[in-house]
Amino acid sequence: MKICKIPKINLDLFASILPAFGELYAPVRRGKGFVFDRPARWSEVQLNYPRTILPPKKFLLPPRETTFKFDSSEGYRDTLAEATKPIVLFGVHAYDIFGMNILDRVFAEGKYKDPYYIARRKSTTIIGYDFEPDEKHFAYSMNADFVDSGFDLLLSDVGEDYLVLVGTSRGDDIILKSGCLMQEPAEADFAEYKRRSSQRRASYKSRIELGDLPEILEMEYHSEVWQEIGERCLSCGSCSAVCPTCYCFDISDEVELGSLSGSRIRSWDSCLFRSHALVAGGENFRDSRASRIKYRFYHKQRGFVAEYGRPSCVGCGRCAECCPAGIDIINVIETIRGERNELRNGSAGAPA
Amino acid sequence: MSEPKKVLIIDDDPDFVSALEALFNSSGCEVRSAVNGKDGLVLAKSYGPDLILLDVMMTERTEGFFTLQEIRRSPGLARTPVIVISSIYAEQPIFRVSPEAGWLPANLFLPKPVDPGRLLEEARRLMETAPAQVGPSASGRRER
Repeated sequence: MKICKIPKINLDLFASILPAFGELYAPVRRGKGFVFDRPARWSEVQLNYPRTILPPKKFLLPPRETTFKFDSSEGYRDTLAEATKPIVLFGVHAYDIFGMNILDRVFAEGKYKDPYYIARRKSTTIIGYDFEPDEKHFAYSMNADFVDSGFDLLLSDVGEDYLVLVGTSRGDDIILKSGCLMQEPAEADFAEYKRRSSQRRASYKSRIELGDLPEILEMEYHSEVWQEIGERCLSCGSCSAVCPTCYCFDISDEVELGSLSGSRIRSWDSCLFRSHALVAGGENFRDSRASRIKYRFYHKQRGFVAEYGRPSCVGCGRCAECCPAGIDIINVIETIRGERNELRNGSAGAPA
Repeated sequence: MSEPKKVLIIDDDPDFVSALEALFNSSGCEVRSAVNGKDGLVLAKSYGPDLILLDVMMTERTEGFFTLQEIRRSPGLARTPVIVISSIYAEQPIFRVSPEAGWLPANLFLPKPVDPGRLLEEARRLMETAPAQVGPSASGRRER
């Protein structure tokens, strides 16, 4: 892997050439949180952000998208062309890149490939940026605190400079385009990188033990803990919306007046919603709130392991941060493991 | 008699703006100005200029580049000719990415100090020709 470095003071100049590769999105402050949005000027970009409200999955799986339009005289017209608009995501944390790599396995590498997702993924340039974990990050436990693929460039703070890891040929094109802004790294930069990397790993305050968790979940399938969590859960679906790897969607047709034309709409869904497992005839496979939130935990931490060999959780901490009922994944898992006697009443976060 | 062409100057140097105003007023153009990218973009949307003259190093040293992106994203301005006039290459010698390298979605880049005769000539040409879509994906079609 090619490695360069860029002085921090020149990052604004570097960012100025990125629109050549697509519309630039970066973390900017919105209210009390941070979002990936278009910066009107470089000073709006907040690279030392803990996490964004929504993960970058919103660019690959938009909350609501028209997949095709239909007309009785012209037939079907897909909207794939609209999904190929090039964008550059600047400042993406490793766990969010990991989240997109997991979505790749579902939408780009699985049995049912999604052309809309694939088109967006190919059109998206990803420039990663390292981060300091806060009290809610547990990406280290989920093996998602570092990525070695899924990005074009990855910037790591080494003091006065950033080390720049080049992940793809497109990343290399950006390096070439940036001309003299990039420099050769020195041994001292690598030493500083290693020092900070160790320090960062040691600084995680939240950790969970992944080993044998699927087995313990199997043993605790009928635990009263799920009922207790179900009584607290509001089924608002915030945890799904903010999750980098929740990908459930719903499909609906919106027909124009006259019934001669319309659009097929795909929009985010959540397994926390009562309607998620509701089928024709009024039967609901997960009618209770407890069954729904239990399903979410089991899908993330057990079902995905069986299908893809690892949990789909990346340890970003968004679900715990946004839950209005204060349900914290760390507490739930520790309780299920028997390491905690009861679910702590965590402080409720703001809904996403 | 045809309507005067409308020129918008976005630059934080009042002396330079005054000089450009005099230059374009004497050529029969209507001129308005803004001192930063944010105000300039707001004014551009309401004023609907036939040409934008854009500085780069204003409140921030790359402000004009970001403003240019916003201009190109605005439906009413996406095709408006833009001439970037800046001394960034002289003041930031590390920044050796040529404006001709296809990354800058402007119709023309002119370094400061600018030659008034050439600026007027290029401005007239851009305002008279039908504006072409300019953007990152079409950067290879930039005027030279």
